[in-house]
Amino acid sequence: MSIADSSVQPDLSPVLSDGGQAEAAPAPGVSAWQLARRRLKRNKPALLFGALFFLLVALALAAPLWAQIADTTPAKNHLSDTIVVNGKSEQVVTFDGVPIAPTFQKKFFLGADSNGRDVAVRLLYGARNSLFIGITAAIITVLLAVMLGTLAGYFRGWTDAIISRSLDVMWAFPVLLLGVALGVSLALGGLQIGPLQISGGSKWIPTLIIGFVGVVYLARPIRGQVLSLREKEFVEAARAQGAGPIRIMFGELLPNLASTILVFFPLLVANSILLEAALSFLGAGVQPPEPSWGTMLSDGVELLSTAPHLTIVPGLMLVLTVLALNVFGDGVRDALDPRAKVRLEH
Amino acid sequence: MPRSLRGVLCLLFACTATFGLAACGGDDDDSAGTTTGGGTAASDAGGKAGGTIRTAYTSFPDYLDPALSYTQEGWQSLWTVYTPLLTYRHEEGAEGATVVPGLAEDMPEITNAGKTYTFQLRDNVKYSDGTAVKASDFEHSIKRVLNLESGGSSFYLGIEGAEKYVKDGKARADITGIEANDQTGEITINLLKPDGRFPYILTMVFASLVPGDTPFQNMTKDPPPGVGPYKFENVRVNRGYDLVKMPDFNVPDQQVGKADKIEVEIIKNRRRQTQDTIQNKIDYMNDPPAPDQLRDVRAQYTDKRYKEFVTNSTYYYFLNHDVAPFNNEKARQAVNFAVDKRSLARLFGGLLEPGCNFLPPGMQGYEKIDPCPWGDPTAAPDVEKARALVKEAGVDGQSVTVYGNDEPESKSLAEYLSDVLNDIGFKAKPRIVEASVYFTTIGNQKTKAQAGFANWFQDFPHPGNFFFLVDERSIQETNNQNFGNVKDPEAQAIFAEADQNADIEAVADDYARADKLIVEGAHVVPYGHRKLTVFYSDKVDFENCTVWHPVYNLDFTNLCLK
Repeated sequence: MSIADSSVQPDLSPVLSDGGQAEAAPAPGVSAWQLARRRLKRNKPALLFGALFFLLVALALAAPLWAQIADTTPAKNHLSDTIVVNGKSEQVVTFDGVPIAPTFQKKFFLGADSNGRDVAVRLLYGARNSLFIGITAAIITVLLAVMLGTLAGYFRGWTDAIISRSLDVMWAFPVLLLGVALGVSLALGGLQIGPLQISGGSKWIPTLIIGFVGVVYLARPIRGQVLSLREKEFVEAARAQGAGPIRIMFGELLPNLASTILVFFPLLVANSILLEAALSFLGAGVQPPEPSWGTMLSDGVELLSTAPHLTIVPGLMLVLTVLALNVFGDGVRDALDPRAKVRLEH
Repeated sequence: MPRSLRGVLCLLFACTATFGLAACGGDDDDSAGTTTGGGTAASDAGGKAGGTIRTAYTSFPDYLDPALSYTQEGWQSLWTVYTPLLTYRHEEGAEGATVVPGLAEDMPEITNAGKTYTFQLRDNVKYSDGTAVKASDFEHSIKRVLNLESGGSSFYLGIEGAEKYVKDGKARADITGIEANDQTGEITINLLKPDGRFPYILTMVFASLVPGDTPFQNMTKDPPPGVGPYKFENVRVNRGYDLVKMPDFNVPDQQVGKADKIEVEIIKNRRRQTQDTIQNKIDYMNDPPAPDQLRDVRAQYTDKRYKEFVTNSTYYYFLNHDVAPFNNEKARQAVNFAVDKRSLARLFGGLLEPGCNFLPPGMQGYEKIDPCPWGDPTAAPDVEKARALVKEAGVDGQSVTVYGNDEPESKSLAEYLSDVLNDIGFKAKPRIVEASVYFTTIGNQKTKAQAGFANWFQDFPHPGNFFFLVDERSIQETNNQNFGNVKDPEAQAIFAEADQNADIEAVADDYARADKLIVEGAHVVPYGHRKLTVFYSDKVDFENCTVWHPVYNLDFTNLCLK
C-alpha cells in the first residue's frame, strides 16, 4: 500500500461543478468545514453509500433482537434439529452434513452452517465484531500514527530517524503475513502489557494487531504534513510567543491535521475490516465461537457447492461494507479537497 | 498412528510409557496356527492381473522411508514395498489382523520369560535390487529407526541396549539386545522387560528390512530396496511416485501384486480428485470425496464404485480428572449424557460410526456396550439429566475451556462441545490451537486443558494400542498422551495383567471389561469411529479387488482393473 498524494488540507479554492463551470467563491464568513459539508451534500452517491454503511451498523446493533426472533444464539448448534419449511419437515443439517439453505422465515432465514447455527444471526453478530474491530482498530491506528507522525515531523533529527526507520521496517513486512504471525502467536497465550492482560480468545487481540499494522499507512503522510506545517508562519508566530513543543503540536498542528485524518478514517476502517476478515479466514483473527465475516467465509469454503449461501452471504456483506466505506470516504475526500488523490493502495 | 487423516505425525513418545511396562507370558505355541513354513506367495483368484492404475493422494506421504514414515498414506505404499520379519496377510477383518511370518521363516521362539525372541530368516530372499537379505540387515534397520529419531523409535526402546545406542548417538554402534548371524540367518532380540505387544511392534513398517548399507538419512528421494510385491520408481517428492510390480516376489502367504504398476499422483484439491475419478481420469482416490460432493457420490456410486469402511479408530473428548470441574465424576457423567452422537456424525458428513465403546469394533476385545450407560448413541441425548447432574455436582457456572485444533472437524467438534457444556450449565468457550502443536499443547500438564478433542488411529491391532490413552502409566508432564489424566484402579489392574499376555484371544474378555469400566466411569466421552472411503473409476474391478485391510486400509496389492 502506498500513499499517492498526502497533501490533504481543507481547500477553500473554487471547485468545478458537474457542468464543468467554476463554482462561485464561498461567501464571506463560510468556513472551510461548512464548505466541505456543502460539497458532501451534493455528492449523492457518497451520501447513499454513507447511509448504507449506517444501515449496516444499525443492523449489527439489532443482532440480539433478531436472535430473539429466531430463538437462538450465534453459537447455538442445532445439528440434529428439524424445522418446518413450507409445511414440510426438514433437517437443519442432513445426515451427510449438508446444512439447510435459506428458509426466508424467522428461523434459519439465511440458512444454517455446518454446525447447524443460524447464519442470519451469526451474520449480524459477525457484523458487530467486524465493525467493532474495523472501527476500533482504525481509531488505534489514528492515535498511534498521529502521535508518531507528529513527533517525527516536528522534532526531526534522531527522533525522526528512529520513528521513520521503524516504520520502514514495518513497511517491509507484508501486512497480512505480519498480522497472521502476530495473531497466531498471541491466540494461545494472550497478551500482557504491564498490568493490562488480554486473553488469547479476546477480540481485542486482532483489534490491536490490525490497529498496530495499520500505523504505517497513516504515520508517513502525517509526518510529511507536519514537516510542512512546522515551517508555516502561524507556527513561527506561536513559537515567537513562547509556545513550547507540546502546545504547538496540540494547539497548532493537530487542528490542521484533522482533515487528513477525516479523509483517511473511512478508508482505514474499510481496510481494517478487510484485514480482519483475512486474518479470521486464516484462523488468526476472531476466535470461535465468536462469529465474524472472515470466520464465516472460512467455515463455508468446504461446502461451496452444496451450501453456497455460507460463503455468498458473508462475502456480500463484506463487499457492501467496504464499498460503502470507500465511496463515502471518497466523498469525504472530495468534499475536503477535491484535488487530493488519497488512496490506500495494496 | 497419525491422528490426522492428512498425515499429522504422531508424537515421538506415543507409546513410551506403556512400552516395556507390560510382560509377556506367551510362548511360541500360541501362534502355531498362523504360521506357514514354506508355502508360496498367495495370488487371489479374483480380478484381472496387469495394467496401470492411477491413484490420487491429497498430500505426499510424510516419508517414503520405512524407518521414518508414520502416516496412513506412507504405510499404505510402504507395506507393498517392504516386508518386516512379521507381518499380516492381505486380507480383511480378523484374518488380516493376525500376525504371520513375513521375512521370518516362522513365528518367533519366545524364551527367557518372554524377554527373548528368536527368529530364523527365510532362505534365498532378495531385495528388489537383487542383493541377498542378511540377518544383520534387521539390526541395521532398527538402528536407522533409532538413529534418525523416527516417530516410531519409542516402540523399539524396550530392546536391550537401545536406550544406550540412542544416548551414544553413534550410528554404527551395536545394539546389544540384537544378535544376528548372517551365516545361519538367526536373529535374536532381547527385551528389557517382557511385552505381549512386541510381535505387533515387529509388524510395523518401521521394522521392515532394508540393506545393511542403507545410509543413516532420510531416503525419501531414493527409497532403499525392499522385499515386497512392488518397488518404488520415479519418485518425485511432493508430486508423486510409481509402485512397480516385482514379478519375482515370493514370500509365502504374502499377496503378489495384481496391477503391473500403480501410479500415485498428488492432487491437492479433493474436488478435482473427485471429478477426475468420476470422469475416469484417475482410478482411485485415497481421501474421501470433498464434503460438498459426498452426497452425490454416495447417491450415484455406492456399492458400484464407492464404499465406506469403519476404521480401527476412536474419536473422543478427553475430560481432565486433575482439573475442576471434571475432577468430579458427576460432571463427567453429565457431559456423557449431554453429547449427541448423532449430531457429531453429521459434523463428519456421516463418515463417523457413532458408538459407545472406547475400543473400535474391529479390535480384539471389542464387545458392544449395550445398553450404553449414557443412552443409545443413535438416539437423542438426555440433556435434562445432564443439567440435573451438573447442579447436583455443584459445578454449574464453572468455566471450561474446550480445546480443539484448526483442522475443520476438530474445530467444529470443539465448538459443539462448548455449546453443549453451556447448555447444561457450564460457562464454556472453545480454544483453537494450530494443528501442528495441538497434541503437544494439550499433552503438557502446564496447559491444564480441561476438555477437548482427541482421536486415535491404531498402530497395530492390539487393544493396548488404544488403552495406553487412558492408562495411568502413560501420564507424564510433557508429551502426555493420557490427556485426561485418567486413573481407574480397576481398569489399571486389568491393563497391567492383560498386557503381559501375548495371547490376545485369551485376554480379550479382560480388555472388554476394561473398555466397559472406562466408559461407565465416564473417564472420557467416546463418540464414534471414523469411516474412510474407497472411490474408484469405472475401470477398477470393485467387486473382486477391494480388500480393506484392518491396519493398512485399502490393500494396493489386491487393486486391479476390470
